[in-house]
Amino acid sequence: MFLLSALGIAAAQQPVVLVVTADAPDYVLAAGGTIAGMAATGAAVHLVRVTNDEKDSWKLSPEETIRRATEESLAAAKILGVRDVHALGYRGYDLGGVSFTEIRDRLIFLIRHYKPTVMFIPNPYTEFDRVVDRFYTGRAAEDAWRAAALENYQPPYADAGMRPHLTPELYYYAQPHDPYRREPESTATFVPQPKFVDIAAQLDRKIRAAQAFSTSNENMARRLAERLASTGRTLPLLATVNDGSIAKLVEENVRGLAAVNAKETPHRAAEEFRYAGVEFRIPRKYRSAR
Amino acid sequence: MRPILLFLLLALPVASADGKLPLKPLPKGKVAMVIQPHHDDHTTDYGMGGLIARFVDEGYDVYYVRASNDEKDGPHGYPRNDMVNYREAVAAAKVLGMKKVISLNWRNDYMNPIPLNELRNQIILLIRKYKPDVVIGHNPWEHYQKNPDHRNVGRAMAEAWWMAGLDNVLPEHKLLGMEPHQAWYLYGKARLDWGLGQRPNIAVELNAEQVRRKQTAYETHRNVYANPASARAYKAALARENLHVPEWENIDDQTAAVMMEEWHMDWISRQRGAQAGVRYAEDYYFLDEFDYLPGLQDYLAREVKRR
Ligand SMILES: [Zn+2]
Repeated sequence: MFLLSALGIAAAQQPVVLVVTADAPDYVLAAGGTIAGMAATGAAVHLVRVTNDEKDSWKLSPEETIRRATEESLAAAKILGVRDVHALGYRGYDLGGVSFTEIRDRLIFLIRHYKPTVMFIPNPYTEFDRVVDRFYTGRAAEDAWRAAALENYQPPYADAGMRPHLTPELYYYAQPHDPYRREPESTATFVPQPKFVDIAAQLDRKIRAAQAFSTSNENMARRLAERLASTGRTLPLLATVNDGSIAKLVEENVRGLAAVNAKETPHRAAEEFRYAGVEFRIPRKYRSAR
Repeated sequence: MRPILLFLLLALPVASADGKLPLKPLPKGKVAMVIQPHHDDHTTDYGMGGLIARFVDEGYDVYYVRASNDEKDGPHGYPRNDMVNYREAVAAAKVLGMKKVISLNWRNDYMNPIPLNELRNQIILLIRKYKPDVVIGHNPWEHYQKNPDHRNVGRAMAEAWWMAGLDNVLPEHKLLGMEPHQAWYLYGKARLDWGLGQRPNIAVELNAEQVRRKQTAYETHRNVYANPASARAYKAALARENLHVPEWENIDDQTAAVMMEEWHMDWISRQRGAQAGVRYAEDYYFLDEFDYLPGLQDYLAREVKRR
């Protein structure tokens, strides 16, 4: 207990959660149920949205896409119980051209400001995810998590009254693309471990939050319908693409994700993470019982 | 058993129940685009020469985008290496049956600090022009990939592959009549002798003729492979042990070097074949058309109908 309190973790404290997402819907699809569950039990949840999602639409200008994505990300956040959304405003799918340290240092600012006890970040080690923005964001967020605790990073922030801050719990999230995502690469002392969260009680909320992204959902549905049509196939649900069929497709997607993640677990609906908790930072043998 | 132990057992095999890598037929389509940094990446031992030959044999037009200028590869100094390697790349591409070599000429082995979006945008333009159904290149998620060009071109390819299909990406291309076009399939290659490399999920069967073309294409890169000096070095090393290779008697070092490369290529093609229960193969990490929607896989498999 001594070590834990020395690290500023008070057992009774309500969690403060900082979520970092590359594109607005990413965190909802991969971690929305878990985050909604934390919010429902009193956690203060803050969201950092790194890109502006400007390209994720069907036949809309970037300007209109940005406007809608902003509104929709606020609506989704509200459904999950997220308190506020900080948009960093980088152009969607273009993070390969943005300085790693620039993204990292802006995240350090927000970490030192909110002093989270839990962070959710995209997993930069997941394999075979074609949206490389998630990799760039995850890498910068992981380093921000580390460097936010070190006083020699960003001395000007200290001048502005912000102290180094160590976030004790870290969740790496990703959609289940990686067939090896459940394989621990090493012990928890060095490497985050697979962790499964039961989200059955939050599944409906997660579905509604995912459905709030009407603009990107329409893009997904129309692209899928177009691909099927151009190859002589059809999905009966998308025979007519409208608000109703898009919402149903999104529901199938969220239920499908929950089922994939729950496979071989005791849960009916789940989310999977790589989790770095106290075991990751302080090996058991160095921790004392109270 | 705690669930986590169960996962360990379940997560390991990508292979089918009999422990073999599944053989995947080529997807239906007309055009494939090979996108890689170097003149020789498509002919080296760990792919993709056999796959390219098979795409050609099955009626595809195959284009090869060479992102770097290959100035570091070979003994002639930068400008001459560039010229010789380009010429040999064109010859090797012809052996495999490819239509064209398109050189982007980024500086060889200096691709780590390049502006990645610029490279990606060049690839997007080419994807919109040539309209590939399939792209083939280095798996950008490969582990222990030491070459910065392989990593970065892989990343640019992994974005360009599908982003070329988005309206709001480089809309100025429409001025040339080029419409958004998405390639739906990706074959990722990786070396499997440097740590984990990648864990392939499919094998592609090759026939003996395709393996032969891959061997010939490989040897065509005389500037860096099938070098008489390598045969001389092997002969000397064997001689120190009082050993010799009977097949090498009465042939020159150049021919011996070619022979050695052929043996190696045959050996590795058989190794990959054995993993899949066939004579010859290459293996890949294959991304199928709807793999980007992991939550809809089962639903689509159940609901999508032929018209
Ligand atoms: Zn190379």
